[in-house]
Amino acid sequence: MATQSSHFEFAPGFEDGRLRIVWYAFVAVLVAGGAYATYLRLTRGMASTNLTSVVPWGAWVAFYIYFVGLSAGAFLVSTLANVFDVGAMHRIDRDALFAAIVSMAVALLFVWIDLGRMERMYYPFVWRQLTSALSWEVHAYVAYIGILVAELYFSMRIDLARLATRLDGTRATLYRLLALGRVDTSDASAAFDERWLKRVGIVGIPLAIFMVHGGTGVLFAVSKARPYWNSGLFPVIFIVSALLSGTALVMMIYVLRTRLFDGDAVDRDLLDQLAQLLLGFILVDAALTAIEALIAFTSFHPHAVETWLVVLFGEMSWSFWWFIVGASWVFPLVLLSKRSWRRTPSVMVLAGLSTVVGVVAVRFNIVIPAQITPVLEGLPHGSYFPTPVEWGTSIGIIGVGFLLYTVGAELLPLTPLSGGDHE
Amino acid sequence: MSTTDDGDALPGIPNVGKADLDAMVEEERPDPRDELADVEADTDLGIAMAEDAQRVARGELTGDEYWEKYDEAAADEFGAAYRETPNPAVDAGDQTVSTETAESLSCTVGSMDAVSTEAAQVEGDGSEGGIGAGDEKWGMVIDLQKCVGCDSCTVACKSENRTPPGVSYNVVMEEEHGEFPNVTRTNVPRPCMQCDNPPCVQVCPVSATYKMDDGVVNIDYDRCIGCRYCNIACPYGARYFDFGGDYDDEVDGAGEVTSPEYGVDRGPREDGESPIGNIRKCSFCTHRLERGEEPACVETCIGDARNMGDLDDPDSDVAKMADSSRAFQLKEDEGTDPNVYYLK
Ligand code: SF4
Ligand code: SF4
Repeated sequence: MATQSSHFEFAPGFEDGRLRIVWYAFVAVLVAGGAYATYLRLTRGMASTNLTSVVPWGAWVAFYIYFVGLSAGAFLVSTLANVFDVGAMHRIDRDALFAAIVSMAVALLFVWIDLGRMERMYYPFVWRQLTSALSWEVHAYVAYIGILVAELYFSMRIDLARLATRLDGTRATLYRLLALGRVDTSDASAAFDERWLKRVGIVGIPLAIFMVHGGTGVLFAVSKARPYWNSGLFPVIFIVSALLSGTALVMMIYVLRTRLFDGDAVDRDLLDQLAQLLLGFILVDAALTAIEALIAFTSFHPHAVETWLVVLFGEMSWSFWWFIVGASWVFPLVLLSKRSWRRTPSVMVLAGLSTVVGVVAVRFNIVIPAQITPVLEGLPHGSYFPTPVEWGTSIGIIGVGFLLYTVGAELLPLTPLSGGDHE
Repeated sequence: MSTTDDGDALPGIPNVGKADLDAMVEEERPDPRDELADVEADTDLGIAMAEDAQRVARGELTGDEYWEKYDEAAADEFGAAYRETPNPAVDAGDQTVSTETAESLSCTVGSMDAVSTEAAQVEGDGSEGGIGAGDEKWGMVIDLQKCVGCDSCTVACKSENRTPPGVSYNVVMEEEHGEFPNVTRTNVPRPCMQCDNPPCVQVCPVSATYKMDDGVVNIDYDRCIGCRYCNIACPYGARYFDFGGDYDDEVDGAGEVTSPEYGVDRGPREDGESPIGNIRKCSFCTHRLERGEEPACVETCIGDARNMGDLDDPDSDVAKMADSSRAFQLKEDEGTDPNVYYLK
């Protein structure tokens, strides 16, 4: 365990060497499988998917908005510490930020593989269309990643500086580089960092809410051709389910990393705080979804009603009832209902995992049902289920995310050296 | 038959070298001596006049010189018939006979001249509502009472634009109304509506989809990144993604035939080359409009249900039809204001 004693030790990463091997082997399998699937995707083109002109958006788009949501959610949790000064949260803000960065990288990989012409991915920066929500989004993502990196830098800089001065060899050089050469560990420099951390965070909040995640919702909501999406509530639901999945992710990572990497005891008060937050988000998410369905049904708009019928009773109903209602609402709600369970790390990991998986279905249920019902009576009905290539590439990209996160967690001082209790 | 590239070939049209074509014509041409042998008139005079007439055509000889050279011989050969027939070449343009020469040679002037002018006038104001004038706002009016549901437009479009499997710019939707036995069926052909407020243009992140001055919404295949956002945004399902398939299983070498779209020759379909991986849609056959032709679906329509023309010209047939009480647009409440109208 890292302390600031004269016997300075800094060894983040797996406590258990065997676990490390198992984990990396697992990630290697995911990435290798993904690499093969990506090879098929590249050589066979989009014909390797089950996408059609009727259902042009599928699993890749669903995963893309899922990871954007995860990122925005994790970032907003981090602002609880950085901007709103919720004391105990300081312990997890770097983790949340780093997870947010990795999620964005994963999200962009999904956007990329989904492009019909992958080699033109930079075109949105060369030619712009001011009326295109997608064009704005792409720019917002870049700005947002900049914010995340700056935030992580300011929140971690003092520890990087400490490490750079106290360690030697390549590690010291690495930390010096990451600290951008600012190795001053004085209180004044710490105060400077904190000030900027807060400022950047304040800019980041509206960016994350309105542009990054609200904006991703707007992407869909502006599509008047699909009344299921075309509602004012839609971007709001996007943000709430982002908070839901982001909080669940941060809670899960907090427990796992504290246990497996730091070999530390989990702070049960902090865990309870996160759990209550999650509880609140689940309730709001369920309520908003119910309202959204109610509005759609009372509108009697045939397209909206039909799409909701597909969601509730049609070919996608299994994912709605099992994953959205079951995994992201009911099951975690049960686990979160008892105070003693909220303070039990293993139970909370389970609740977090269930939510994180359940929200994947939320994203699939956003993207696909609206494309099942034809836009004009007389046009063909859509149907879609991802091909093995689509699943394989998706799992591979997620594997890349695991890899990035683990490497980062093994190298970086994501747990504050001071233990996280500022002041 | 060899093919050569003389630079301005149109995509999709066999590009045969001019020399080959000339050789074909030469082969078919009858021998002049044999032909003239059957005629009473002097064969040598005929051949000489024919050869000099070609010189006139090439500009090596003027019309005046020609007639001065042959006037006497022709009068001897054809007598009164020659003098009494009006010469249509008098002052009708270049390479013809000037009025003075005609008078000095006493070629009859006048009547044929007038005939040719009249003919030119008829050609001038064609009935197409100004196709080819260059300032049109293209519109299509589809008369649902005339559509027989034969799907020829779908087929004509596929073969005109060489669309691959799964890409069909134009489909005919069938709607059944009523309960047995009082059932009716309406066929609704659906091209791209070329919306005046096109959601597909609005959402494209790279401005690859754009609206032209003539009202047609086109796609720049070299810019489209294949994100399919426009596909999602189109309320008419009029956009199709090109997954790279072709009809090689059905027709040998189907992928070799080039597409004429937008007048750009992209060569045979090849993996990784646009428009594979792009979105595609009906362009009102822009390449045909530019040549002064109607879109393939309009030209082929068996029921004469489709009409193409200039909506900006109040006298055009389509403008009148689009204005009639029978006219409506699909999904009028979407605010897209399509340039395709239907007649109930
Ligand atoms: S019909 Fe669809 S593809 Fe055509 S212009 Fe309108 S929105 Fe665009
Ligand atoms: S698929 Fe092409 S044309 Fe359509 S929105 Fe994307 S870039 Fe634009």
